[in-house]
Amino acid sequence: MVRHTRLTPLSLLSLGIAAFLTFPLAYVTYSAFTGDLSQAGALWNTRLPELLTNTISLAVGVSFTTLTLGISTAWIITRYQFWGRAFWDWGFVLPLAIPSFVLAYIYTYLLDTAGPVEQTWQWFTNSDARIPSPYSFTGALVVMTLNTFPYVYLLARAAFQNFNLSFEEAAQATGATRWETFWRVSLPLIRPALVASMFLVVLYVVSDFGAVSLLRFQTFTYAIYQQITGRFDYQSAALLSLLLVGFALVFLFLERWFRKQSRFYQTSGRVRTATPKPCSMTQSLLINLSFGLLFMAAFGLPVFLLIQWTLTAWTNGDVGTSFGTYIFNSVFLSASAATAALLLGTPLAYLASRIPSKLHVACLQGAYIGYVLPGPVAALALLMLFTDVIPILYGTVFVLILAYLIHYLPAGLQAMEAALQQVHPNLEEAARNLGAKGIRTFMQVTFPLVRKGFFGAWLLMFLLCMKELPATLLLRPIGFDTLAVRIWLEASEELYQLAAPPALLIVILTIPAVFLLSKKNWQAG
Amino acid sequence: MNPVPPSIEQSSQTPMLELENITCGYEPHVPTVRDLSLQLQPGHILCLLGPSGCGKTTTLRAIAGFEHISTGEIRLQDQVLSSVSIHLPPEQRRVGMVFQEYALFPHMSVTDNVAFGLYHWQSSDRKSRVQTLLELVGLLDLAHRFPHELSGGQQQRVAIARALAPQPLMLLLDEPFSNLDPEMTIKMRKELYRVLRQTQTTAILVTHDHEEAFAMADEVAVMQDGVLVQCDTPEAIYQQPSCSFVAEFIGQANTIPGIIKNGHIETEIGRFPNHSQFQNDNRVLVMLRPNDIQLTPSESGPGTIESRQFQGSHTLYAIRLQSGQLIQCCMLPIPVYNIDTSVTITVTTSDTILFPQPTLS
Repeated sequence: MVRHTRLTPLSLLSLGIAAFLTFPLAYVTYSAFTGDLSQAGALWNTRLPELLTNTISLAVGVSFTTLTLGISTAWIITRYQFWGRAFWDWGFVLPLAIPSFVLAYIYTYLLDTAGPVEQTWQWFTNSDARIPSPYSFTGALVVMTLNTFPYVYLLARAAFQNFNLSFEEAAQATGATRWETFWRVSLPLIRPALVASMFLVVLYVVSDFGAVSLLRFQTFTYAIYQQITGRFDYQSAALLSLLLVGFALVFLFLERWFRKQSRFYQTSGRVRTATPKPCSMTQSLLINLSFGLLFMAAFGLPVFLLIQWTLTAWTNGDVGTSFGTYIFNSVFLSASAATAALLLGTPLAYLASRIPSKLHVACLQGAYIGYVLPGPVAALALLMLFTDVIPILYGTVFVLILAYLIHYLPAGLQAMEAALQQVHPNLEEAARNLGAKGIRTFMQVTFPLVRKGFFGAWLLMFLLCMKELPATLLLRPIGFDTLAVRIWLEASEELYQLAAPPALLIVILTIPAVFLLSKKNWQAG
Repeated sequence: MNPVPPSIEQSSQTPMLELENITCGYEPHVPTVRDLSLQLQPGHILCLLGPSGCGKTTTLRAIAGFEHISTGEIRLQDQVLSSVSIHLPPEQRRVGMVFQEYALFPHMSVTDNVAFGLYHWQSSDRKSRVQTLLELVGLLDLAHRFPHELSGGQQQRVAIARALAPQPLMLLLDEPFSNLDPEMTIKMRKELYRVLRQTQTTAILVTHDHEEAFAMADEVAVMQDGVLVQCDTPEAIYQQPSCSFVAEFIGQANTIPGIIKNGHIETEIGRFPNHSQFQNDNRVLVMLRPNDIQLTPSESGPGTIESRQFQGSHTLYAIRLQSGQLIQCCMLPIPVYNIDTSVTITVTTSDTILFPQPTLS
């Protein structure tokens, strides 16, 4: 009995693409273990304990704070009716529009010695009390928390909105108080959403480079960057990278495993959802006060400062023609990378969704490699590959586009897969049945139906590329600056006004995409 | 124009469709079809009938070209569509298909959906062909609507018109009524029957509902676990089922174990003459339809009424025999017999159907 495994040209193409995307990581792995490993031992003893402690404690700390903030905001917004609720409903998504390194540089200003916060605090308490330095664990914790709690908020909000109220009523009918019900019924039931958001946050924290580098907090990504730029020690960087990739992989598998485990949480049948409870005047005021503080810290104040600095820079004549060049560079790179990613991702996503053979699924999984490759690692992989194998391309825009492509294809692929899954295979079969060939079927039936989703995928990848920092820093051709690179360079020199115009531009460009994100169905599972 | 079923004489022509010993479905999650052979005469309607997962949809998809076959051959008007080495792509088969969920293109109007298969036609021909078909299914008024603006029944009409538009040699319908409410199902059944007869379309219809199969089909092919167990006219299928599976699937049938003794069949409810080829001491199953059985109350009767279901024109009784077996009996609604009444059972038919008793394993 022959099982038909048909190797079509399209399958071969997607195999080629997957191989192309995974090769850099394979090459880093190979180079990490060839050559002199004595330095690796030194690295192990000197740097590793600090890096591990810092990275893990930051991940744990941020998980804890974001869970607290995300759950409480989501709970209040879904369960209570208060003045301004409609605004907060989408307002808490806005912080996602600020790249981590922009928020970090604003906080280096705010929390600096004799900075605005310290002065205010000293005036308020009438003392000489110092506040913690931004260049510390606390600084990193504050910035990363404010930057990522909206993910928890989004997922928890979706979970509470779809929550079946009957469970809570059943608990209260057995005599449980509201408080007990919350802890023993409501929270455990939205656990899948909480776990999913925690995975998201942790992956974000361990792969972030922009914030920790500006706050000079030693985590893996920052250390890898320093090994490459400061010491030109690619092998140690490669070893650190592999550790980080391994960590991310374990994490990814844990997430998948957990998602399978939590299937039984889904309830079937009719769902009664909660009606928001009206609040008193005082309650309304308290809620708005605390929400206002959080919002100002995460979005309002940073944007206010950016606008103010931009205006100063503008009047000082600091926004020159070179600014136009940075915009062009950023847009050109991001558009090229997003378009290339869309073209390469289409056959992979299409084949895996229509003919889910082992080969096709494996190719698609291969393309998701960017997930576990933080920016500096992706850059290192291409750096080593191109300096060793194709030095002629090293230092060109091509390598940079490739880095963006590998790094951000997963984000686009997810949107593309979702769009393709919306199109029932029967529609394509119907077209074939009516005499249409494969290409006409794709152009007239599949493509018109996935167009919006694919455009969303392109836009998402474009915006992510606009914000990309570490790979750009490491791979850009000499003198080729993007908006993100300018922000980082000026901010490193504490030239706040000069960093503001590009930062403000990125924030403004990202806001519409953030709204798209907030409308997406965030139900976990 | 009165739709007339094709006469029996026509069946001596060359068949429209031939399936010869086909086997397919080695992909995971696809039910296997084993060694299936079928012939379908031009203009006939065949119903593939069976429980879910029996391979009937796989068979249909193999004919349409969406599944590959690993043995045998599929021929349409003597042209090979599928064999071990040949696989004509779906778009070249000239076999129309109506999908279970209709699969109307959501971004196209009714007109564009129907015109989709007429891509290579001249624009004027295309227009008149679409017009003809919309008229045929009674949807001229809704030509500019989009699928989401139509009711279930209307969507199905569009799906039928779209499948018929490119003048396929035959039509395949996958559970066409499964998404309609019962009232609409009966209406659309009549409608589909009229359209198929009027256009003299050869058709295969997949269903798990025997009433639907009986109402529509010239021939019924019953499938079980990927194997064709019987293919015959609806009447023959009902009256002479080839095995107990068919008998039970086609309608409520009581199968009572018995043994052949001296030219008679001995069972718990009495003796019947043996007209079959079964020999003495053979263990058999006797098939009796609920309306082949009468009950009369009697103190010493071998059965007890366990439940009663009033069904309008008749009442269905379930009778528990002494062996523990439950049999169904169909009676007039009056008189009413109470539950727990002891009854005797009379068999009113003279030719009973016998099946070999499956050996216990």
